[in-house]
Amino acid sequence: MMPPQSHSAGLTRTGRPRLLSRDREESLRARLVARDPRALSELIDVASPWLLGLMQGMLHDRDEAEDVALETFRIAWDKIRPPPAGETAVGLVPWLLTIARNRAIDRLRTRRRRARLGEIAAAGTETWVPAEEPDEAGQAGWHVHTEVHRALAALPAEQLEVVRLAYFEGRTHSEIADRLSIPLGTVKTRLRLGVGRLRERLAGLKDWIV
Amino acid sequence: MKAHDWYVEHRADFVVRALEADDEALFRDHVARCEECAAEVAALEHDLRHLPMAVRPVAPRPDFHRRVTEAILGPRPSALQRWGWPMAAAAALLAAAVIGLRGAGRIDALTSALATRDSMLQRREAELTAVRDTLIGFKYADRVRQASIEVGGMRGWMLILADDKTHQWEVIVHGIPAAAPGQRYTFWFITGDGMRHGAEVVCDERNPAVLTLDMPPGARSISGGALTVEPMDEDPTVPVGRELAHLEL
Repeated sequence: MMPPQSHSAGLTRTGRPRLLSRDREESLRARLVARDPRALSELIDVASPWLLGLMQGMLHDRDEAEDVALETFRIAWDKIRPPPAGETAVGLVPWLLTIARNRAIDRLRTRRRRARLGEIAAAGTETWVPAEEPDEAGQAGWHVHTEVHRALAALPAEQLEVVRLAYFEGRTHSEIADRLSIPLGTVKTRLRLGVGRLRERLAGLKDWIV
Repeated sequence: MKAHDWYVEHRADFVVRALEADDEALFRDHVARCEECAAEVAALEHDLRHLPMAVRPVAPRPDFHRRVTEAILGPRPSALQRWGWPMAAAAALLAAAVIGLRGAGRIDALTSALATRDSMLQRREAELTAVRDTLIGFKYADRVRQASIEVGGMRGWMLILADDKTHQWEVIVHGIPAAAPGQRYTFWFITGDGMRHGAEVVCDERNPAVLTLDMPPGARSISGGALTVEPMDEDPTVPVGRELAHLEL
């Protein structure tokens, strides 16, 4: 798995900056807090591809993915606040992704409770893709995507599988144990080891915005 | 009731959401009361915050942006809605007047007047929308480029204001005479696939043209715009006439 071609000093192939300063993020947050519709529009532009990617990967349903993404933007619009004095807020996109992921897991569990999950997610479709896709290297946040892939690729296969089922498919310990036909204790051990390694590698990644 | 060690052991499982429903609810209650666990859970969530970006980004469908903004901000009120109260008041007055009127002819005249007023309001709404779009383009343009134009001894200019957020351009053509009979000015987008028709530009020395243009559907790598003068009877989708201005953004 190779990283995408790098470009000169923080520039995409089109010459536009791929990363902007913390100031830009703070400015966008401040304008969202001030209820600036233009800021909402910017946020939708920046975050939609990642939100929709995550939701489609988890829910395997484009319409439902859009529903959750829309719901996420609505929650963000309603709940966004300035960070407490002296503190730095979590990046807007990671915040939105966290909201969306939790919503998606709730929906997946509702589906399962209704025994309607069926073949859609049981097929185990991959929810992430190899990082080497040069055509998308200009996508805002792509460098984070590649870093996350590097971290995931460094996991042993058995830990990666358990992390994928738990984190991206919202499966519980017992569901994973059933799915992989391994003991519950083994699932817990693999998950904790995997999450611990990911934490070490991802903790230093900075927030981003276009 | 579980011992604190159990919560310490299952923090990562809670963040990842691998706990069974009952245990998850139990853990959530505990986090609300235990500062140590709350802090550690928050730290773990923070460190893993980029993990969802393992997925491939998906381009939104064309109407997604509009659907989200309308769902959150509500649809933009139309001019007719803004004029709702005055219209209602006017209608009430007219109704009162109608009661006092004799003869169908007068009622017909009033009905016709109302239809005219309604049509006028719709035209005004369209004009207001156009003005609003134009002003937004002026205010939020990310890139502005200008080129001078010389036509028939007159020097004018073409200005492009590009808004990268809405993907709309304001194009202003000013200071040139009206197109000669049998000809028309045409604005073209310069794209990776060649020139794509933008719009006919109608202007004269006293009346500039101000256009709000969306990007041509399906076009890739739009790099600029050009103004040409085209024969009126030629295929309007392919430029064949003289190029008056060429702007690379």
